Formats: sequence, C-alpha cells, structure tokens
Amino acid sequence: MQDKAAFFEFNTILERIRMKLPIQNPLHSFVHNNILMMFESKEFHEALSDAGQLYRARSYWSLDKYLAKYAEKKINDKDVWDGIDHYMLHYHDQQVSDKLGMGLRDYYHHLMFSEMAFNDDDIQPEISDGLLWEKCAQKMTGTSLDLVTGKKKYRAKEYWEKYYNEATASSTQPFIIRLISSFLDQGQSFWSNPYAEKGFWAFFTQDLEVVRHYASGWQRILAHKLDTFKGHTPVQIIESELNRRNIPREEWESFILEILFDLKGWSGMVNKLETEPWQATVKAPNIKLVDFIAALILIEFSLDEYHAHSYSIDLAMICGREDVLTLRGFHLSLALYQIAKAFKLPLEWFDKYSSDELAQIIQLIDRSEKEHLTRLWHEAYENHFYREALSAIVTHDRSVIKNVETEAQVLFCIDDREESIRRHLEEINPAIKTFGVVGFFGIDMKFSSVKHDRLIAQCPPVVTPSRIVREVAKNKEGAAGFHKYNNLMGGSDLKLYYMSRTLFRGFFSTLILGLVSIVPMFIQVFFPKQGRHLRQWMKELISPIPETDLAIEHTEDGHGYTKKEMAKIVEAILKMCGLTNDFTKLVFLLGHGSTSNNNPFKQAYGCGACGGNAGIPNSRAFAKMANDPEVREHLIELGVFIPKETFIVSGFHDTCTDEILFFDIELMPVSYLKDFERTRDYLNRACKLNAFERCQRFSSPEAKADPDFALQHVRERAEDLAQPRPEYGHSTNALAIVGKRNMTQGLFLNRRSFLLTYDWQMDPTGEILQQVVLGGIPVAVNINMDYYFSCVDNDNFGCGSKLPLNLTALLGVMTGSSSDLRIGLARQMVEIHEPIRNMTIIEAPLNRVRTIFDNHGRLKKLLYNHWMRLVIFDPEVQKWFIFKEAEFQELVVEKNSIKYFKSSMDLIKQNVIADDFAEIG
Amino acid sequence: MEYLFLNLLLLPLVWMIFLGLSFFARLQLSERFLSESVKFLAMIMSLMSLLLSAMVVMNGFEPLVLDYADWIHVGEYDFKIRFIIDFLGVTYALLSSLLIGIIFRFSRNYLHKEEGYFRFIFLLSTLLFALQVISFGRALDIIFFGWELVGTTSVLLISYFYTNSQPVRHSFRAIVSYRFCDMGILAAAAWAHHYMHTTDFNEMSRLLHDPHLHTAGHGGQIALFFVGLFIVWASLAKSGQLPFSSWLPAAMEGPTPSSAIFYGALSIHLGPFLLLRFYDYFHHFPLLLWIIGLIGALSALYATAVGRTRSDAKTMLAYATISQVGIIWVEIALGFTHFAIFHMVAHASLRTWQFLRSSSLIQDFFENPVVHQHETIQRNLSVEKMVSKNLRKKIFLHALHGFHLDYFTQRSLDGLSWPMRAYISFEKKWMNLNNSIATSIFKKR
Repeated sequence: MQDKAAFFEFNTILERIRMKLPIQNPLHSFVHNNILMMFESKEFHEALSDAGQLYRARSYWSLDKYLAKYAEKKINDKDVWDGIDHYMLHYHDQQVSDKLGMGLRDYYHHLMFSEMAFNDDDIQPEISDGLLWEKCAQKMTGTSLDLVTGKKKYRAKEYWEKYYNEATASSTQPFIIRLISSFLDQGQSFWSNPYAEKGFWAFFTQDLEVVRHYASGWQRILAHKLDTFKGHTPVQIIESELNRRNIPREEWESFILEILFDLKGWSGMVNKLETEPWQATVKAPNIKLVDFIAALILIEFSLDEYHAHSYSIDLAMICGREDVLTLRGFHLSLALYQIAKAFKLPLEWFDKYSSDELAQIIQLIDRSEKEHLTRLWHEAYENHFYREALSAIVTHDRSVIKNVETEAQVLFCIDDREESIRRHLEEINPAIKTFGVVGFFGIDMKFSSVKHDRLIAQCPPVVTPSRIVREVAKNKEGAAGFHKYNNLMGGSDLKLYYMSRTLFRGFFSTLILGLVSIVPMFIQVFFPKQGRHLRQWMKELISPIPETDLAIEHTEDGHGYTKKEMAKIVEAILKMCGLTNDFTKLVFLLGHGSTSNNNPFKQAYGCGACGGNAGIPNSRAFAKMANDPEVREHLIELGVFIPKETFIVSGFHDTCTDEILFFDIELMPVSYLKDFERTRDYLNRACKLNAFERCQRFSSPEAKADPDFALQHVRERAEDLAQPRPEYGHSTNALAIVGKRNMTQGLFLNRRSFLLTYDWQMDPTGEILQQVVLGGIPVAVNINMDYYFSCVDNDNFGCGSKLPLNLTALLGVMTGSSSDLRIGLARQMVEIHEPIRNMTIIEAPLNRVRTIFDNHGRLKKLLYNHWMRLVIFDPEVQKWFIFKEAEFQELVVEKNSIKYFKSSMDLIKQNVIADDFAEIG
Repeated sequence: MEYLFLNLLLLPLVWMIFLGLSFFARLQLSERFLSESVKFLAMIMSLMSLLLSAMVVMNGFEPLVLDYADWIHVGEYDFKIRFIIDFLGVTYALLSSLLIGIIFRFSRNYLHKEEGYFRFIFLLSTLLFALQVISFGRALDIIFFGWELVGTTSVLLISYFYTNSQPVRHSFRAIVSYRFCDMGILAAAAWAHHYMHTTDFNEMSRLLHDPHLHTAGHGGQIALFFVGLFIVWASLAKSGQLPFSSWLPAAMEGPTPSSAIFYGALSIHLGPFLLLRFYDYFHHFPLLLWIIGLIGALSALYATAVGRTRSDAKTMLAYATISQVGIIWVEIALGFTHFAIFHMVAHASLRTWQFLRSSSLIQDFFENPVVHQHETIQRNLSVEKMVSKNLRKKIFLHALHGFHLDYFTQRSLDGLSWPMRAYISFEKKWMNLNNSIATSIFKKR
C-alpha cells in the first residue's frame, strides 16, 4: 500500500512524465537520438504502439506504401513468409487463428492480404458470393456488438473537437505559445522578457493580471481561477484542479501527458532547459515543468468551463466518458462476410459457433488487424533488405582484393556518408588503405575556436568532455587585429539585427542598407558559389584568419592532456584500426563536417561523433599528438610502433561540398611533399566520383551525367540560400559493419552502411572490440531511429516541410506564424529514406560479442528488444550467426550473386549506379 | 515608349493565361520548363522596366498619359482604360520585376519537388501582372482590378498548405481584412464617378481646383473629402496599418519566399503607393494629411512595441515592416513624397533579403563571437532605461498581447453588429409567433 501511495505521489508522477517527453536539444546543439530512447526497455513493436498513441502518430509507414513496395517487387512472397516467421517469434497468440481453424502462420498471411474495413461506411465491399452472404446475414441478424474504443476519456477537448470544431478546441494555443516562446527566448526578440529571473509562474500570473481587463470568454474564467488560487503553489493547484474534476490518481500521468503532448515540442524544451540548463543556446531561463503543467491545466480547464457554460453542457458528463461504437446486424454480416472471404473460410465453419461467439470473433479480428497488420508488413519489408544485404556480404569473396603494397593509409569517420568515398578511393588506387574510426578520434574535449570564445563539446553526446582545448593564434600580436575586427564585426552584426527591426534606428538602417542589400541578395540568389568566394576573398583582404595552433598540452588549470594521456588516446584509436606497425610514410586523418546555408538543421549534417560539429579540431589535435616524438616513445611502451619517418596529416572532408582540406601541412618535412600531393590528387579524384555518386540522388540531369559538373553542382548546393536539401545526410542508412575492411571491400553498399574497422586478431582480450562497439553502434542506432521516425510519420514524429519553418527563440522552429516547437527532421531531409532498423554485422569471435552486448545496459536493451539486428561472423569457426529469439543461431544464406545485390539495392530505380561506375574512375 | 509599356503589361498577362489554360488542358508542365520560363520572363520584364525607366528619366520625368478604348459604356457615360507612365509607376514596376525575378530564382530550388510548385508560379505570375496594372493604372477602376488580384493571390498563398487548418484560418483573417478595406476603394470610385465624373487621379486633383465643380452643385467639399477618406481607408489593410495590423503577423504561413515578396516587399507597400497616387488630392484637404500622418505614426509606434516582444523570426519581421511602412505614411503626410518613394524601395529590398535569410539566424547567433553562453545578450536601449522598471514590465506585457487589438476589434465588431442581432432576434420572434398561431389553428381543428 505504501508503495502504491508513493507511486502516485505527484513528484514521482512528474518524474515518469519527464521520461516520456521528447528529448530533442535546442537546434544549435542538435544530435541524432532515438526519440523513443525512454521506451527502449520495451519490445520494439510494443514501444511503437505506446509511442504512437502518445505522439498521436503512425509508427510505421501507411499500409499503401508497403503494398506499393509489394507491387514493385521490393517485397516478394518469400519476404512475406520470412517476415511472418520472424514476427511469430515474439507474437504468437493463437486465440484467433484457433477459432478460425488455421495455423497462426497462415492466419497472419491471410491477414496481410485481407482488405477488410469493418466499420467504415465509405468502403462497401462488393458482395459476389450470394450463398455466403446469405449465411452471414442469417447468422448475424439481430446480433449486436459493442466496440469499446480505448479507455475512459477524461479530457473534454476531444469532445469539443468531435462535436463542435477544431478551432474551438485549440483556441487557447496561440496564447500559450506566445507566453512560452517569449519566456524561453534566448535573445531573438529585442526586449528580453523582464520576468525571466522570477520564473514562469510569476510571469504567467502577472500576465493575467494585465490580460484580465481585456479578456473575454475563457481568459476571464482563468483570471478568476487564479484569484481563488492565490498563494497556492503550482503543485497544489494541479492537485486540487484534477481532484475537482474527479480524475482518479491512476489516470493523472496519462492525463497530464495528453495535455503536454498537445504542445510536445514546447513541453520537451521546457523539460530540457530545466533538467539540462547548459544545453541552452545562451542562457536557460528559470522555468520548471510543473509551472508549465499548472498553466496548461488551468488554461484547458478554463476553456472547458467556458464551453460547457456556453453550450450548456455538464462537464461531469463528458469527463470519464467511454466512446462505444455499436455494430448491428447488417454491419456485422458485412464484417463476417469480409472475414470469410479474407480467410477463405468454408460454409461449415459458421455452424461451429453461435451468433454471439461470431460477434466476439469479429471483435478479436478487428483488434488483431489493428495491432498486427502494418507490423507484419514492416517485418516483411525489412526482411527483403536484410536478406539481400546479407546474401551479398556473406558471399562476398575477400580474395577479390589483391594484395598490393600499401602506399598510404587514410582514416575516415565511421559515418555512412564516407562509405562511398572510401570505396572510390580504393577503386582508384588499391594501394591506399582506408580505415573507419569514430570521428572524434577519442579526444573528449571542449573546444573554443579562434573565431569565438564559446566552448563547444567536440565529442559524442554520451561522453562528458573532460578537457578544454583552445585554438590559439601563433602570432599573438598579429592576431590582436583579427580579434578586434572579429569582435567588431560580430557586434555590428548583432546591432544591425536588432536595429533594422526597430523604429528610428530601423529607419536609418533601412535607408542606408536598403538599396545596398539588393546586391548581396542578387549575388547569393543567382551566383551562390561566386558569392562565397567573394566573401572569403573580402575577409582575407580585410582581416585574414591568423595561423593557429591547438593548445593541447596539459596546463596547471587542468586544461589539455599530458603526454601519457595523449599516448593513450592515440593508442586506442590506432589499435581499433589494427594499426600498430606497418605505418606508411604518410597517414591521413580525415574528420568530416558539412557546409550548408540558411539551414536551421545544419547541426544534423555534421559529424555525429563530434556532437554535430565539424571534426577539424579533433583531427588536428590527434595529428599533433601522434606526431609528437615524446608521445611516440610512450606509444612504443604501449605496443604501437610509429616509425620516425611517418608523418600524420590532419585533414577534413566536407560531406556536402566534397572538398578535402588539410591542416598544419607546414610541419611536414618538405621532402614528403611529392608523396603528399600524389595522395591528395587521389583523394580529390575520389571526391569527384563521390559527388557524382551523390548527384544520382538529386534531380539535376547534367550533374547525373558528368562528374565534373557534379562536383560543381554539390558545391553550389552547399552555398545556395534557397536549397532545402544541401545533402541527403544519413538518408537510407541501414547497416553497421564492424570488421576488417576486406569483409566488404569491393562491395557497393550505396552509402547505406556505417563502416567500423576492427581487427579481431589484434585484440585477444576483446577490450578493443568493446571500445569499437560502444563507440559506434549506439550512435548508428540513434541516427537510424531518428530517421526512421521522421520518415514514417513526418508530421507527428518529424517537423514537416521545411518551407514554412519559422525560427523561434533561437531554440527551434515553428511551422508558420505560431505552432508547436517542431521536433525531428524535416520532410526534405528524409524524403528518400527507407525506414529499416539497423542491422549490425560484426566480425569477431561470438563469445566476445555476446559478453559485450550482455554487459552493457543500453546495448542489451537494444538487442533483446529488437531495436536493432545483430549478425556475427565468427572468424575462428568461419561461421555466420544471427541473433534470433534471445540467442545466436547459425545463419544459412543462399548463394547469390553480387550483381543481384547491386542492381536491387539501389535506392531509386533510375538512379542505378552499376558496374559502369568503375570505368569513369 | 507606349509599345514597351504594352509589352510590359501584356507579357505577364499572356503568360498567366497560358498557365491557366495549360492547367485546364492538363498539360502538367514540368518543373524545369516552368522555372526556366519564369526566369526568362522575369529577365525580360526587368530589362523592359529598366528601359522604360530610362526613357522616363530622359523625358525629364514628364508623365505619358495613355487612353485606350472604352471599357464599359453606360448611356452617355464611359469608363476608359487609362494608363499613365510616370516616375512612381516605373519605379514600382521595376522593383516588382526585379524582386519577383529574385523570388522566382529562389523558389526554383526552394520549392523543388513541391506538389504546389505550379500553383506557386501561377500565383506569382498573377502578382506580377497585377502589379503592372496597379503601377501604371490611372483610374481607380483599373487600380481596383489589380488591387483585387493582389489580394486574392496573397490569400491563396497564405493558405498554400491548405491541408492544415491554421494556414486556412489565417488566410481567412487576411481576406476579411482585405475585403473590409476594399470597400473603401469601391466607395471612393463610386463617389468619384458620381461627383466628379472621373476616377482618374490626376483629373480628380485638377477638378478640385475647378470652380465649375462647386458651382455645378455636385456634392461639395464634404463629399470630396470623403472620397479622399475612402482612399485612406482602402490603403489600411494592404499595408497593415492600425487598426488592421493583426492579420499580417498571422499571415506568415506560406513558404518563406511568398511571405518575403508579399509582406516584406510588394503587397505591403501598395498602401503607400495608393496614397502617393492621390497625394495631390490629399494636399487639398490638410485634415486628410493629418489623418494619414496620425495613423502612420500610431501604427509605427504600435508595431515597434509589439515587434520588440516577438521572439520568432517571421512575426518579428512582420511588425518591423508595419512600423517602417507607418513611417512612410508619415513621410507622405509631411509631403516628402520623393523621399517616401526612396524609402519604399529601400525598405522592400531590405525586408525581402531579411525574410529570405530568416532561417540562418541560429547559425548567425551561434557563430557570433559577441554572443556568449550563460550571459544574456545586452540589448536594452539607454533611452528605455529611463523608464521605471515596473512600467517597462507593464508595457512589455501589453505589447506581448498586441495591446489587445483583437479584443478591441472584437468589441467594436460586436458593437457594430447590433442591427444584425436585432434582426435575428426579430426573426426568431416572428417565427415563434407564426408557430404559435399555426399550432393554435391546428388545435382548433
């Protein structure tokens, strides 16, 4: 009893509510997350059902899409059966199928192809079988069935929506949004909110003091309510209001959640800024979720009372109502007829049951259809991809790759977007070896660039940065001018922003800037690329960015790293790649990031391992560490032998413009220049091909045909003010492959796979594998799930079209002039995505992998609850295993040709990038 | 010059009609064809307007007056299609061609793969044509034609995402404001026809000084004053001046480029444009100039206060726009007409640019070296600090709610609607009476 009381204590309810709110960061620090991370302790499909209700969203594609895929043969009959088999491992309730007298497998199969519409008056099935229809009608006449839709409803809002109109039900929203967006504002508005320090509740009550004199309708009731609650805390108000409505305590959680999810983005942001104030763009205001809940409840109840009064309705009648839909004889007969047709039931079957039993069966099938139908199709759809991908990877012949002497080694990020450039680089010059490591290169730092002082975490969101590293100008005196100019420009930008929007100063700035602004507008709209060159040229001319260095050395105040720590970092990364000796003369290290313009989601395109930022500082810091002779000495003790001749080049790959930049080249011995330039040329050629490959997904026909034009095209996209799709980001990602590169080298993976290099032979204890898997797989799953949800229901899990987005409070975006703060990704970012759960393929001894997954809380949840699939190639026994039903089973793959894989894994039919691709290189 | 002008007017019209016909013929014009064609169209239009402006300048700013065939003929009375090519007209036409050209180019990528691309292009082409008509129209009837087209396209673009309810609601708000003020232009035209036998603004201003007009016993000064007042009324909604300010911020529902071109640049400045057209007329009635100045000043103050509390990019820009347009009204009232034209052009360009860039803000702030974390951005004016803190707080809250403009509008509408309500209650009573009579008759039988 004690426990139960504690469970329904308001604070514990509040904690549970917090867990379920959206977890998105403010946009400036956007990171990909599984937006249902809090639901991971449930099985995937169950979690999706729960979340679907909470978010009022569809958790899978609509049925039409799957059926279209079936028609296109992207799902074939084998996939359907395999999907059913996989689904049956976890969902094997045979109640219905027994009643129908068939096996569960057949039942599911019939269900998938049934076209039943039970209580939809618009769709009337065609009656072609008179005898059957007579039988159904005879059985069901006079019977009725109560379909109880869901549980008791305590909110009056749905009632207004249903019987009045939507505008009546949501007429309070603009008011709430105005208050909350003004309160959370980080500096976008000219007047900062004067109540920011006193807290939201003070602001809310003060605001109503003013509004009440100009209020009509519900606002008047609200003001009155606040009068009666004077001196009460928000929690007391919530409790007494909910009690007054006679809402049972068990329902409070779901009731409050429902109200919060009307404005899920704002609620999530309030929660975020309260629990993690450091995530704020500038400074988190003093806001508490309870205050917000109390305000929302008061507003909602005032509106209810107002409506109840004006429509003369007793609120007690609405609150706690149950919606019952009663099906009568004719509809039941129709339903039965459809069932008989869909499941091919014989006439005798009807005689086994009485009319009431038949009605029960109809209800069961109705429920079962709603629950299982899209899930089954989704399983089938995923299965198609898994099967093709596995058959290609399993049958891939490693000996295709000839052993040539290594000329250079290039370390890339594990990102799926780097898959293609690695492939091209290896195709152009097989003597270049590529590796995939997490793009922050193990450096958990907060970084401040020479351009601004702000400290930015350059590591994955799960890692807490331990050090601060600053970029400093080499020539301090020379850089003073730059800093002065930089601050001056920043200050004037900011002033101009505010000024041009005010009255008198707006007047002057309009007159001065007005006509001038037509020039940059013209250039940026018509010649985006040249505009960028012009801007850079002007900046260089006025105040060039000084040459800089990274202060990575350990200092007294705890910044930076000691040489030993550096050696540790370098060791970890190099051992992950299996690189302990055999270094080439030049080792390239490529961080990555993405350029785009006028894009609120820029952070989503960056390097996930660097917290969405560009990986330049990490790559520079790592190169600096690894080039340090003292660090190299420590490394020898740790078993990594970097020869004196080896130089590590730090570089950066822009995944949008397909440019590669190099840093700190002046430290390289001059004699290496020739080798460096040689490899650089290969890299540039690979970039061109990479751009060309990417352009196959865009719609410019010229860029699809010509690699040179393609390169120009992607660079233009990056600078284009009007481009909602600078690149497609992680769209279509579905795989994560951990193992030696030759496991998939030569395979066309179509930018769908994260590639993590791992050499099991170098790792007898499994320690390195643990680092690789923990560093890479959760990130891959997060990205995968973020795309999944934004793709399946873009309006409710994602943020809708990019076109009407309106930046708000420097925190997020609204659609149009006032709406919820949108979460997730925009439609234009995910339009070509295929929602498939991540499949991870690991080349390592089975037991090692199993221990890692079993001992890590989140990975275990992900695996056992099917948020991902896991396939293992055990090189010791040379066998493939797949994780099924809580254990690993040996995988049997039909022999299949790569060719088949190549032609069917392409994303869009006309965009086939097939064999002829290699010829261009 | 006339030939050039006719091309400028007819080219967008022909294109518009072609687009319309292609829609009915289910031609399904490709996105590429559309974007290339409008690029070409905008280029030609800009060049022609530029040439025309050059000609106007070379003619020493001497307006060219063109009269075409009768439009409608009623008895002895005829409505002529009249145009004028003058400095103000070519400036506005040039501005519209240039900015729409930029918007066309912008939306080529921005609205790529968009279902409503054709609709968008068609509406913008319509806007282009309508603006030519307004720029060069010399009679109120002609201007009214373009005026309506602009209003309709604007409303249709607010509800571009018509499957969502909010854009539709807000476009409804816009159309109500528009129609309410369009009555002004209609009333002005009707009264002008009646009292002056013309709606040509030059002629109207000239006639004011005509002794014959007064002796002929037509209306007199008061009626002529009202004609002017109606024109001021007509300009209110389009330029978002008080009391028609609240629909504009709510109108930011369409794709960004359409918000930019309508509410940052071309539609919003039609109000001042109309006022400038009738400046000579207003000059005759100093009271009208006072009214214009007062409305402008009030709107400017109102909008800047409300705008300062807004924390989203587009609404903020909408209020900023209203306040600058308010200043332009004041400039017109003070007689700085040429300065007002300059201000209009400068303002339109700046706002278009700001709207188009409005999505960059997060990046701009985040990369700004002056913006630090854990420190609120200092932005209060020293003048404002002179006001006591409590008063500032009060003002903030009032401004946050738009000084309760919607509430007051609602109240006054309620006040105005008493005849309607009286009628409804009368009807109810009448029906009840009938019912009771009918039932009593039935009972007797």
